[in-house]
Amino acid sequence: MVDVDAFKTEIAPPRKIHPKVEEMKTTGKLFLTNKLALVGFTITSFYFILAILDAIYPQYLGVANDSTYLSWVPGGTPTTIQPSQLLSPSLTPAGGWMFILGTTFYNMPIFPAMLAALKFDLGYSLAIVMIGGGIGVVIGVISGYMGGIVDEVMMRVTDIFFSVPFLVLAIAFLFVFGHVLSSVVYALIIIWWPIYARLTRGQALSTKAMNYVESARAAGSSKLRNIFVHVLPNVLSPVYVQFSLDLGTIVLIFSTLDFLGIVNGNPNVPELGSLIVAQGNGLSWLIAGYWWPAIIPGIFLLIFTISINLMGDGLRDVLDPKLRR
Amino acid sequence: MELRYFILRRILVIIPTIIGLTILVFLIMWAIPFDQLIAPYIHQKGLSRAQATLVVEQQLGFYKNDPVLTYLFYLRDLFSGNWGIMFGSASPYNGPVINAIEIFLPNTIQLAIGAVIVSMAISIPVGTYIGSRPNSLGDQFGRVFSLAGYAMPGFWLAYLLIYLFAKNTGILLPVVPWGGNGLNGYYSSGHLVPWIPIQVNGHPVSDLTSYPTHVLLIDSLLNGNIYWFTKAVEYLILPVLTLTYGILAGLLRFIRAGMVDSINQEYVKTARAKGVPEKTIIKRHVRKNALIPTVTVLGLLVAGLLGGAVAVEFVFGYYGIGYLTVLSAEDLQVWAVMGTTIVFGIVLVIANLVVDVVYAYLDPRIRY
Repeated sequence: MVDVDAFKTEIAPPRKIHPKVEEMKTTGKLFLTNKLALVGFTITSFYFILAILDAIYPQYLGVANDSTYLSWVPGGTPTTIQPSQLLSPSLTPAGGWMFILGTTFYNMPIFPAMLAALKFDLGYSLAIVMIGGGIGVVIGVISGYMGGIVDEVMMRVTDIFFSVPFLVLAIAFLFVFGHVLSSVVYALIIIWWPIYARLTRGQALSTKAMNYVESARAAGSSKLRNIFVHVLPNVLSPVYVQFSLDLGTIVLIFSTLDFLGIVNGNPNVPELGSLIVAQGNGLSWLIAGYWWPAIIPGIFLLIFTISINLMGDGLRDVLDPKLRR
Repeated sequence: MELRYFILRRILVIIPTIIGLTILVFLIMWAIPFDQLIAPYIHQKGLSRAQATLVVEQQLGFYKNDPVLTYLFYLRDLFSGNWGIMFGSASPYNGPVINAIEIFLPNTIQLAIGAVIVSMAISIPVGTYIGSRPNSLGDQFGRVFSLAGYAMPGFWLAYLLIYLFAKNTGILLPVVPWGGNGLNGYYSSGHLVPWIPIQVNGHPVSDLTSYPTHVLLIDSLLNGNIYWFTKAVEYLILPVLTLTYGILAGLLRFIRAGMVDSINQEYVKTARAKGVPEKTIIKRHVRKNALIPTVTVLGLLVAGLLGGAVAVEFVFGYYGIGYLTVLSAEDLQVWAVMGTTIVFGIVLVIANLVVDVVYAYLDPRIRY
């Protein structure tokens, strides 16, 4: 006689995992197998943590009020200095650990100035991408879903905004809204949404033909509900990729504007590009052999943009089902 | 839809797009307070307020109080080839906007074409190599290296190249001459020659007798002047290298993706099964198909380069269209800003069109 009960095991009821969570788990696993993307993600997070820490505990990494470079100037009054007065980077700096990367214009320590600049750069680029991206996604998804004349008009308007030279817009905004950094931020938001509108529209065109959208429509779901509940969540994956790449691009654009001398009327607002340019001295100091004011902030910026691009590429590989291996 | 109608429709769409663009830019320029508009004439040219107002209103034809009429007159003149006048204090050119564009645009085109040629010459062999070995060490190194070019500010890359290669001061290979004060290129006959001082080693630019294209590289050849031709090539090296490194990553990414995509196709497997040597497979079957999508980025890259080379033009004192745009915008030269914007818009739309047509030609599966 075999004891049947001994073979009975408790069968756990299947755990209910939300399909979204399941999906995210697979995505995460795939992402982790891509070494370059992982490195990019780690370094990018490190930069963000650095910026956040600098914002929360300014007394350790920065100074309490570092909304301008002036708070870093020794003695508090900015003076032009000769390149020979610059302190070079050294592991045992005379003035304390702050001077570890040397000094730049105003004889200001590069290291804490770079942290202050990073904080501003990341904050502004996040704001621009989120606002511009948000506007673009909404316009794109409506345009793609509605089709017809609405689509045609919206896309022509997008084309117009797409071809406005950004520099012209930025310069004009400086004159209209005053010589402050926020003018450039407005200009960037206006320039930024068309990319997202086009991206989302293309996705929405294919998504609206899907069966689940059709059945939702057949079930009497309204246009608005269809667009924002059924289509929108399913067109976002390329948006995330673009989002991550743009965070790096905007920091680059800021630095270019700084180089052209049109980012703002106040050259003392911390920004990585303005550190490289060093009030127009960067290149001449570099040629004369004083390399650190231009090279060190440049490398700091480069590492950030490379990592965020690696991360974005990795995201693209993972989120695009065609590229999934 | 037939390709012919497709092209026709796209060309017709250009017109409202460009007009919309001019309205938008005009509105932006019109929103600038009048005091700001006349300020350059008062502060830098020493005119009185009344005189400055007169210059802006009567000579430039910009009536702040009557934007509709001002715009309509501009539009009428635009089609008859009169693109307005510029009187910049900082901008390197005074006179009709259309002439300024005629002088500055070819220089940027030359730069963009140079960068595209060099970057194709690099990215096709490199892309073939890394695309046929995806995820190898060489692939990852190639990706990071090319990404670095894309991920650094153009002007900083120019700084680096000058630091490494500039004649006399470079720390690696001090052989390449660079820059030259751009403003020196403007000389009495009214012609602009980019980035070349008026005189180099006793050879004045005015050795040349005619300037049919405003591009020194071509003008010197047409004049049979080898000295200026070599100078033109030398001074092009660093700007072209800077732009090349900047666009390399985009091209490489495309070629690599195309290679990876087509290396697993059935026809490649068939070729392999037939016993075709691997080298021939890569060359004939894989790469040919991988290059088709690359053509599409190329057009957009050229369009992007025409507008995006501003920083590089500034570092090297190179008189291109970006240089003109920024300086005239800082000077609030309304018509110059409008003119350059129109040029950018047309270039962008045409590049898009050419890309679509070329793509349809290369890939017979695509129908309109």
